[in-house]
Amino acid sequence: MAQYSLYRPGAAAGFGSLFEDLRRDMDALLGRYGSDPSGANGWRGVFPAVNLYEADDAFVLTAELPGVGPDDIQVQLEGSTVTLQGERKIEYPPKGSASLHRRERQAGAFRRAFELPAEIDADKVEAVHRHGVLMLRLPKTPRYQPRRISVRGS
Amino acid sequence: MANQTESQELQPRQKQELQPEGTRPGVVFRPDIDILERADGFSIYADLPGVDESNVSVRLEKGVLTLDAQLSALPDPSWSPLHAEYRFGAYHREFRISEDIDSDRVSAKMRNGVLELQLPKTAHKTPRTIAVQAG
Repeated sequence: MAQYSLYRPGAAAGFGSLFEDLRRDMDALLGRYGSDPSGANGWRGVFPAVNLYEADDAFVLTAELPGVGPDDIQVQLEGSTVTLQGERKIEYPPKGSASLHRRERQAGAFRRAFELPAEIDADKVEAVHRHGVLMLRLPKTPRYQPRRISVRGS
Repeated sequence: MANQTESQELQPRQKQELQPEGTRPGVVFRPDIDILERADGFSIYADLPGVDESNVSVRLEKGVLTLDAQLSALPDPSWSPLHAEYRFGAYHREFRISEDIDSDRVSAKMRNGVLELQLPKTAHKTPRTIAVQAG
């Protein structure tokens, strides 16, 4: 399964190059999906779709997980790597009792990992799942938090 | 092994953006849906991540079911985005329902960002025998 690095210590600094790396990973992944014999045509995303934000004191990761209950999501933090995994379950009635006119929603297991560009204070991580969106608040350890330095005149 | 639980890797599609219609501001997505038909009615499931029950509207008019939804929250504008795989917008979708629906008994509920609609068929659909007379 896919593991993405949002930050690589060895890589040249700057998010531009981080995104290059990410894009390459994505392309590799999509190439794999493209060859999927089940007939993926066009772009297929990864599940769940994730956005990542940076606030002063924390990173915020949000993931669209419609139909996945809080009990079916596991969040793990190891160092600065956060992993989301779980399963999206869809129960269909037994064959014969109903006909399925359209089936666009997909079920299955998922796992994604992200490496964050700073150390995370594991004890203060908060996870909230509301309306099918998971939001993780991942506070930076104090040494990665901005500190105001007062400037004095001589 | 027919009952083995499905655990294939999820490969969902990217959110499908609708063509701009001019009258509708902002980005509008076409939610993924499942439609099931039983003898007595239809069930429709729509993925609406980020939508709560107060922001969904379902209309049934002249055999067309229209679904509209708005997000209940947007990301804090003070956060700086580092990585984005999904965008924010409204959801819209329409279906033509070919059978008569008992609109008084339609029910809708939201759970974990999924809308579940129950559309019972009207009861008069019992088969009738038509007597054929000789001319």
